[in-house]
Amino acid sequence: MQLGTRRLLDRAFSGLGFISIGLMAASLLVILTPIFVRGFGAFVFQGTIEFRRMQLERFERGDRDEIEAELTTARRARQPVYEMLDAFDTEMGEMGFLERREYEGPREELEDALRELLGPRPEDPVPVMARDQYGATRWDRAREKIDLVLYRTEYDYSDRTRMGVPVSVPRVEDFRGTALEALFDYVELHATEMLRPRWTLYLRFLTDHSIDAHFFGGIWPEVLGTLYLTLGAMIFALPMGVVSAIYLVEYAGEGRLISLLRTFISTLAGVPSIVFGLFGLAFFINTLKITESKSLLAGSLTLATLVLPTVIRASEEAIRSVPTTYREAALSLGASKWRAIVTVILPASLPGILTGVVISMGRAAGETAPIIFTAAVSVGKALDFAKVKFWETLSEATPALPWNIYNLATEHEAVDEIRHVQFGMVFTLVMLVLILNATAIFLRARISKKLRG
Amino acid sequence: MEREQSPDREQSPDALAARRSDLLMSARASRAKRVVAFAGQSLLFLLTSSSAIVVLFIFYFIFKDALPFFQLRSLGEFLGSNRWYPTASPPEFGSLAIFLGTGLVTLGSIVLAVPLGVSAAVCLSDILPFGLRQAVKPVIEILAAIPSVAYGFFALVVFAPLLQESGGRLLSVAVWLVGVPICGLIVIVLSESVAARLPSEQRAGGRIVAMLLLGVLTVWGLYRASRGAAGLEIVSGTNALNVSIILGIMALPTVVSVSEDALQAVGRELREGSYALGATRAETILRVVIPAAGSGILAAVILGIMRVIGETMVVWMASGNAAQIPDPWYNFLEPIRTLTATIAGDMGEADHVTGSARYHVLFAMALSLLAISFACNLASEWVVRVQRKKLKG
Amino acid sequence: MEAPAFDLNIPEARADVPESAPQEHPHILARDFSVFYGSNAAVRQVTFNIPRGLVTAVIGPSGCGKSTFLRAINRMNDLIPGCHTRGELIFGDQNVYGPQIDVAALRQRVGMVFQKPNPFPKSIFDNVAYGPHILGIRDRRKLAEIVERSLMRAALWEEVKDRLSDNALGLSGGQQQRLCVARALAIDPDVLLMDEPTSALDPRSTTRIEDLIAELRGTYTIAIVTHNMQQAARVSDFTAFLYEGWLIEFGLTQQLFTRPKEKQTEDYITGRFG
Ligand SMILES: Nc1ncnc2c1ncn2[C@@H]1O[C@H](COP(=O)(O)OP(=O)(O)O)[C@@H](O)[C@H]1O
Ligand SMILES: [Mg+2]
Repeated sequence: MQLGTRRLLDRAFSGLGFISIGLMAASLLVILTPIFVRGFGAFVFQGTIEFRRMQLERFERGDRDEIEAELTTARRARQPVYEMLDAFDTEMGEMGFLERREYEGPREELEDALRELLGPRPEDPVPVMARDQYGATRWDRAREKIDLVLYRTEYDYSDRTRMGVPVSVPRVEDFRGTALEALFDYVELHATEMLRPRWTLYLRFLTDHSIDAHFFGGIWPEVLGTLYLTLGAMIFALPMGVVSAIYLVEYAGEGRLISLLRTFISTLAGVPSIVFGLFGLAFFINTLKITESKSLLAGSLTLATLVLPTVIRASEEAIRSVPTTYREAALSLGASKWRAIVTVILPASLPGILTGVVISMGRAAGETAPIIFTAAVSVGKALDFAKVKFWETLSEATPALPWNIYNLATEHEAVDEIRHVQFGMVFTLVMLVLILNATAIFLRARISKKLRG
Repeated sequence: MEREQSPDREQSPDALAARRSDLLMSARASRAKRVVAFAGQSLLFLLTSSSAIVVLFIFYFIFKDALPFFQLRSLGEFLGSNRWYPTASPPEFGSLAIFLGTGLVTLGSIVLAVPLGVSAAVCLSDILPFGLRQAVKPVIEILAAIPSVAYGFFALVVFAPLLQESGGRLLSVAVWLVGVPICGLIVIVLSESVAARLPSEQRAGGRIVAMLLLGVLTVWGLYRASRGAAGLEIVSGTNALNVSIILGIMALPTVVSVSEDALQAVGRELREGSYALGATRAETILRVVIPAAGSGILAAVILGIMRVIGETMVVWMASGNAAQIPDPWYNFLEPIRTLTATIAGDMGEADHVTGSARYHVLFAMALSLLAISFACNLASEWVVRVQRKKLKG
Repeated sequence: MEAPAFDLNIPEARADVPESAPQEHPHILARDFSVFYGSNAAVRQVTFNIPRGLVTAVIGPSGCGKSTFLRAINRMNDLIPGCHTRGELIFGDQNVYGPQIDVAALRQRVGMVFQKPNPFPKSIFDNVAYGPHILGIRDRRKLAEIVERSLMRAALWEEVKDRLSDNALGLSGGQQQRLCVARALAIDPDVLLMDEPTSALDPRSTTRIEDLIAELRGTYTIAIVTHNMQQAARVSDFTAFLYEGWLIEFGLTQQLFTRPKEKQTEDYITGRFG
């Protein structure tokens, strides 16, 4: 081959490498961007007067007089809508039977859409469900609701070979020449006055309990459940992992038995996480019966078995990297081997062990499959060790971020209504894991600095 | 101890002298010491073996609950039929489609992750300067750290609608993006080898002609392919393609870091030997480094496969969960269903008190998963051992 | 006899050490003593006495078994799998490798300073207090007293007395090595073993350590391994020359360096090999 071509190929080859690294970074960016941007939207958004009313009524937050005054203003802006509806009702009363029948359906739909946007009419009885008591609390949701008021969806079946194509039809066509004709323009023009959106910082999203299956409120039960599960897993996995690592590094020889043991540990590391879930169910709950059904304890134990090999490996590496000279110095001063391990080797390897532990915590916090059958429930109160007996809390099932992300995104009755909550949860979980990993990186940097002296 | 010989020495402080034990232990003390040491070590050994015990328990408990399925039904039905109707009466538990679904997404994601991951690893170990390498490491670490449910959520909520609405366009762009660099390389190499056969005075012209011809041909092929892709209609965004792409990204960190380790283990001497013979960097890497690191890269692939096969949340959320064999079998645009997703999804409805076949079939699937991952694990260990021996010997 | 290849300036104080000191006041006695790594002998059937209260140097080319011999005295070689001994090594009146020896108690009597300074990654105070702490002394005041005395003996007190709670790894190399000496002295051993204690230090720190040895001489029995013959001549009363595990010659430092009895010794000290 010509030298020129060879150079060209060489460049192209390097280019391929750069491209793949770029693709990797790009995919990370593509995945994290929506999670960060939209997850951030759970905390910072344009909240409407309905949001402030909900916060006042449900959490007793905000200035009551101010909010009520604002609500009065907003209701005054909504009044024409209701008047138009009433006028139309009178109009309908004067229609003939057939004509009225034609209008009944569309009017019903319109009223429903308006209720979703503005909440129930002030003079109506208060609905049972919290979700029906308030209008759109977020301006982004409100804009979609306005669309629902202005347009309805129809399916176009003209092309028989394909599925029906959705088409938006302005509702105003349905009400031409009636009292309602003016309503649509009014809603479009006066939406901000009716709802009064304002930038809101809702940090309490993290620490609020949820209201009516996450329609309103925050994600505290899930956050707390995740934290407890993670801590619980580490309480079991950390001592076991460190002790195992000490044995493997300081005492175990090179024998058959030990290499078998090592194979077992790497096998454990490779077991799929869902199998851990089944094992936790079959062993901790159905066989040992440590708790009657799903519980914090069973979940923590299952997660502990899952992260055990990671903790062992990290601790092993950390202990191995302690210079032998420390060991020799301690022994030469008359320390017993165990004493040298406890007083010198473990303290010296602590940052390394902590690095591994923190990374394992991130893993435990994010795992879903092992807790599906052993700990997680979709709806539940935040665990509270202070109020109930310790043991009873341990044997309670708990919501947890990873599980509830799945649950809200797939099984919730109004998946689209609560996207912001889902994104908020994903954002929180990812941030939690990233913070843990950043801590690990920080610890690692400190170790290498320390070893350099 | 006598100390008179060193008169200028101050007497050792009482505190120290009093605490000093005798140099000689009594026979009993020495026996006691040995017993304590032995007991301590045995205790440590027992605690360490608990991981082994957990592994054995996992195998035992999964096996115990899987066995009744094969007694109630048959292995033939499990692996031989693709009729998965666990709630019908009579129920049917043919899991062939589910196994194939697992195989399909594994194949898809590995096809994505391995070339990308290995070339990224090569770039990291041989091409990037040190500073940049340090900057890329966190990317890999973050990719590895993001919880699988977050990937699943992304696949379901962001990626699936995108795929459904403009999947065809995305695919045709992808065809160009992937096709141009790879085909470009192939064209250069091919035209070079064509030119090499010609007599030397015609070589330069021959190369240009070959390059032009091949280039036009490839552009035309790529154009056709991208048109075909753009015309594809994607009925549902939750399908095998979606899952394969996301799983591919999830497997990347494993593939990259393990193969990078393997490439680094090859050592300077081999590389320098090749450079000394006048080889370019690409030639050195392709002809010397990668073959030497081959088994380590193989281990990386196996570990990547393990990661993909065992993944639950992404496939559960975004694969469509249809227990069907795509038509044709490689049609990645159809929804599929995998072992892990079936276990996760059906366990809630299966009744573990009465222990119906519906319950036990899930354990049979878990047993299959366990067997696969165990085999992969042994294979990767073996491969690594071979590699180590090769590098030493 | 040729003149030695370098200046021998043996301090005044040591001029009157009797040649018979090892026989009359032995502290450590090696009798046909060998150390093996697996089947390879690193120390071969050596026989000599280390006299009490004096400084004995062990010299020889690299790999001749100096460290191995030194580490055999406080049984640090026990850490190395496959390492075993033959013959006798007697400390005071006990066989170091006897069946009922309490190794921890032995190491508390036989302190050791290593080639590279190896303070623990703890505070200066905790480093020195480590040994007494093991002996069960928990009283902070008593510990402080011991730490102060040990640091004074190691000639480090003045430099660190204001920063006892600082990390020991922040000290300079020479200070770290003196800290290691202080740490070994804190449990008041009878013997101090030093394995090339200055090979990792700069000349000025080396001088300080040598001065320290001179000060400790008389209080402790000191065995020092060095490949630096000037150093052996400067600090030691007696010198043992090892070659490929064999003890070639043992005697008064002055004699060994000025009138070696063996050809190999002469070759070595005149720099013909090694
Ligand atoms: N841990 C060990 N295992 C096996 N052989 C060793 C070990 N340490 C030292 N040796 C061997 O023992 C011999 C003496 O070593 P050493 O006592 O360290 O020599 P010196 O300190 O005089 O340089 C050398 O040949 C060396 O290779
Ligand atoms: Mg040595």
